[in-house]
Amino acid sequence: MAYLSMGEAHRRITDYLNAFSDAIAAQDGPSLRRLLAFSSDNPKLLSVAQALTVFQDASRLIRQSSDMLVPLLRALQSYKLGQLVDGYNAYEKFANAFIQEFRNWDSAWALEALYVVAYEIRILAEKADRELAATGKTTDKLKAAGSFLMKVFGVLAGKGPKRVGALHVTCQLFKIYFKLGTVHLCRSVIRSIETARIFDFEEFPARDKVTYMYYTGRLEVFNENFLTADQKLSYALTHCHPQHETNIRLILKYLIPVKLSIGILPGDSLLEKYKLLEYRDVVLALKRGDLRLLRNALQEHEDRFLRSGVYLVLEKLELQVYRRLIKKIYIIQKHKDPSKAHQVKLEVVVKALKWLQIDMDVDEVECIVAILIYKGLMKGYFAHKSKVVVLSKQDPFPKLNGKPVGS
Amino acid sequence: WRPEPAPSPVPSVQTGNTVGAHDDYWKHATQTFQTQHVSSAESDFQKALDVNSSYPSVQGQQQNASLHVPNSQYIGRPQVQQTYQQPSQPPTPADVHRVNKLQILTNPRIAPNLAFGLAKSSKDPSASSVMAKPAYVSVSVPKLNERVLSSSASDSGLKPGMFPASLRGYVERALARCKDEKQRAACQEIMKEMITKATADGTLHSRDWDTEPLFPIPDTNAMNNEQTAAPISSLSAFRRSPSRRTKSRWEPLPEDKPVDKTTSTYQDSAKHGGWVPFDGKDHKFVSGKSDSKDAIVSKFSSAEPNSASRTAHRPVKRQRFGNDLGTIVNGDASSDSDKEQGLPAYYSGAVALANSPEERKRRENRSKRFQKGNGQRSEHHFRPRNVGAGNLYARRAIASALSRTSEDSGSEAVEDIDWDALTVKGTCQEIEKKYLRLTSAPDPSTVRPEEVLEKALLMVQNSEKNYLYKCDQLKSIRQDLTVQRIRNELTVKVYETHARLALEFGDFPEYNQCRSQLKSLYAEGIAGCHMEFYAYNLLSVILHANNRRELLSLMSRLSDEAKKHVAVRHALSVRAAVASGNYVLFFRLYRTAPNLNTYLMDLCMEKMRFEAVRCMSRAYRPTVPVQYIAQVLGFSAESEGEGDEDKDLDGLEECTEWLKAHGACLVVDSNGEMLFDAKASSSTLYMPEPEDAVAHGDANL
Repeated sequence: MAYLSMGEAHRRITDYLNAFSDAIAAQDGPSLRRLLAFSSDNPKLLSVAQALTVFQDASRLIRQSSDMLVPLLRALQSYKLGQLVDGYNAYEKFANAFIQEFRNWDSAWALEALYVVAYEIRILAEKADRELAATGKTTDKLKAAGSFLMKVFGVLAGKGPKRVGALHVTCQLFKIYFKLGTVHLCRSVIRSIETARIFDFEEFPARDKVTYMYYTGRLEVFNENFLTADQKLSYALTHCHPQHETNIRLILKYLIPVKLSIGILPGDSLLEKYKLLEYRDVVLALKRGDLRLLRNALQEHEDRFLRSGVYLVLEKLELQVYRRLIKKIYIIQKHKDPSKAHQVKLEVVVKALKWLQIDMDVDEVECIVAILIYKGLMKGYFAHKSKVVVLSKQDPFPKLNGKPVGS
Repeated sequence: WRPEPAPSPVPSVQTGNTVGAHDDYWKHATQTFQTQHVSSAESDFQKALDVNSSYPSVQGQQQNASLHVPNSQYIGRPQVQQTYQQPSQPPTPADVHRVNKLQILTNPRIAPNLAFGLAKSSKDPSASSVMAKPAYVSVSVPKLNERVLSSSASDSGLKPGMFPASLRGYVERALARCKDEKQRAACQEIMKEMITKATADGTLHSRDWDTEPLFPIPDTNAMNNEQTAAPISSLSAFRRSPSRRTKSRWEPLPEDKPVDKTTSTYQDSAKHGGWVPFDGKDHKFVSGKSDSKDAIVSKFSSAEPNSASRTAHRPVKRQRFGNDLGTIVNGDASSDSDKEQGLPAYYSGAVALANSPEERKRRENRSKRFQKGNGQRSEHHFRPRNVGAGNLYARRAIASALSRTSEDSGSEAVEDIDWDALTVKGTCQEIEKKYLRLTSAPDPSTVRPEEVLEKALLMVQNSEKNYLYKCDQLKSIRQDLTVQRIRNELTVKVYETHARLALEFGDFPEYNQCRSQLKSLYAEGIAGCHMEFYAYNLLSVILHANNRRELLSLMSRLSDEAKKHVAVRHALSVRAAVASGNYVLFFRLYRTAPNLNTYLMDLCMEKMRFEAVRCMSRAYRPTVPVQYIAQVLGFSAESEGEGDEDKDLDGLEECTEWLKAHGACLVVDSNGEMLFDAKASSSTLYMPEPEDAVAHGDANL
């Protein structure tokens, strides 16, 4: 680092401070935003941070509204020095003061800056938590950031032009809650977004709507409400900016399992385009009725599926694979002898499974068949005495057509 | 007690003081005191006592008189006499201290009873019980004071019905301090002001007057005292503090504490040096003593030997004063705290005191601790309420903790104690112990040390008795481990044993307690049957909570090694079977379950069977043999080995019963075989109400 003279340091800091007060005086959101975006690697911010290390007593330079600027400068300095916990604490102090001011501004000019604050505080908290974890301390900064954002949400959730910012903060909150594993906390925010009359969902910015739908869709996947999950994730997919491929990929990661479980299979090109090849074998297994392939695919990507939370959804696809297998047997029988095709002997199914190296005895297969009929995946009945599945002559394997299995 | 014997309507006492050897004058003094008390009227007491309360300041002035001074003070306290004689120690700093403590008794509310106490105590054979005695006596104070109350209430123009009883008590306490009409009038003025204020801000009824500190006696008082109290100048400033202190601290609690202090614990704490720094200083010293901690030490320090004799004598007394006890004790506990919050304005009289830096610091500390919240405070509130053995333990534990902490810093307040220091070291050698939920700090003599607990665990494991007995024993073991903060393999073993027994018995609340403890114990890296319990964990999440997120996170944390473990693998298969509704697999796994997995599977067996039968009623046509249902749904338990037939028959019967209970339609075919009529049953199946259901949800209670 080049040597920095005291005078130069002084100049940089006063420049920064002047820029800050100018931005507020002129209600210049974009400029203010740039001054607060620590993680953006803005060279100007970096130089101010350098100046701060040289010029120790920077708070002397601050003339007004020091409850905002003093912590801000300290946060900037600590952040660039890599003291993230200190940086977070100071930033949170600043953010609280900022919110106080923000509350008093009538127009929503500073919304952009507020977004940056909400974003930065989350990122800083994550980094601070990492620092805390490394030193073996309890990591509570992200949680603190969560309660701060909740406060911000309260400031925004009212009548007036600022309310369009509420969804953005909500999305930041979702990110925190998902990271912390406290997704149950999402519920209260969702409720106020979806029931409060002051919000008109379509009024929110598109990017926030997409993010919101993505997260709420994921929540529905956890709850195995496939229809609502499908609806929300599809909304996110269709409204997502087509150039944001990583976002589309994220959405598809959850949408594909949902679609699979309501009987809609993706094309191979889609999986390839968005690098979701872990689903390829699953799809193939569904097409072929290959139980072994499904089980192997699940085992191979178990960690990934468990972490993203779709494992239990994919596991339920087994029944569809069984159905496919029996359907194949049915089709072959139909080729041979159409008159007897609707009677599938249990031992044939057992044998087919054996070819797939899946060792199941008659009782187990009988159980599976019973479940298939019970869940409406197959029409017909099972005759216990003769161990034969008697399939309905009309549409023995009804398509799911967007309906979830069961019920 | 060389200097002038101070102001006194109790001249005999004073002269007694001047006599040299304290042993001698002790007896003498007490006698005088006794007679005086017996004969004198209430108002006399008050006078006498007020004078007494001015001693400390006298003392403060001439602290070079130091060591003998304390003894003179004791005259005022007949109940101490025996003990004091017995040890007859060379006066130590502790003694000086004690004086201040004991001086509390000069407090008029307690004092009137002293004669009574004296009479009693003299009958007592043991020194300690002598000391214990007067305590009860003093409990009766409220009764005595009732008279005062009524008169004072009318004096001050208060209509009794309008104010809470506790307020009346407060007024009466305040007035009781007054020695003459002038003071009385001044006090009434102050109280009127207080009451008006309290009424205005609505705290009149909500405020705890029992614990409300008394305001310092107004200036007339000081003047008054000065008149009587000889040529001691600037006395009032000092005088006020001790008297105020003692009053606020002790007055609401005329119970037994002051008495205890002379016993070992007190000396302990003195020895530990908390006091030493104060000693030999001037009035600061006096005020230092009024530090809350000191007072509480003595308050809480009950010596063990006391307990026996005390409890022996107690019941009678308690019955009589039972009503008062609760409030009084309670009031005492919170008096420290409430005082500071309560009426700072009225403390202006104690400014001189407050100016001493030591005192100021202490106050800061104290007020800080109130900001910390009420948690600890409420603890204090309740602890003393459990009179009886537990109470004693509590006090002793705190006292010992205090004496320990006072080594580090003498000026720490009670609430600043390092509570970790309360960890006890058990001494009990009994292997068997009934569980009793602690309501106070544990007593080392009833806590078993680790090696005894190990034996206790073995005893439980080999015991033939029923679950309830074992559960009780294990809970007491767990408690002993907890209070001694033992967290090692033994702890894990105890919890594991208890968890297993609870599972077997179906005591899931208890099991869940153990489960969460084990979770944190394993997380600390303490070895145990980790895998076995991981499997239980998985199973209970799957079968009990059905929380998908938790299940996912549990599964994603499983190591490859864990997945290979037989119990975990089994649990995972069970999960898969439940998820897909594969009843055949489920009941197969039920039969091959390792460890106690079965007991957890029991939880969802009923549901599994019902779903299975429903599934059959939809999928099968026309009928299913009951024999088959019994087989796949695990009714005929062991199908291998001899006695096969019988068991199958049993299973068949059980299955038939079960099907009937759930509304299934059964038919008998020409061969006499029982069949399940699928189509007919599909509309008649229902889930019956569990027979053993109880309103509170736990049939084990």
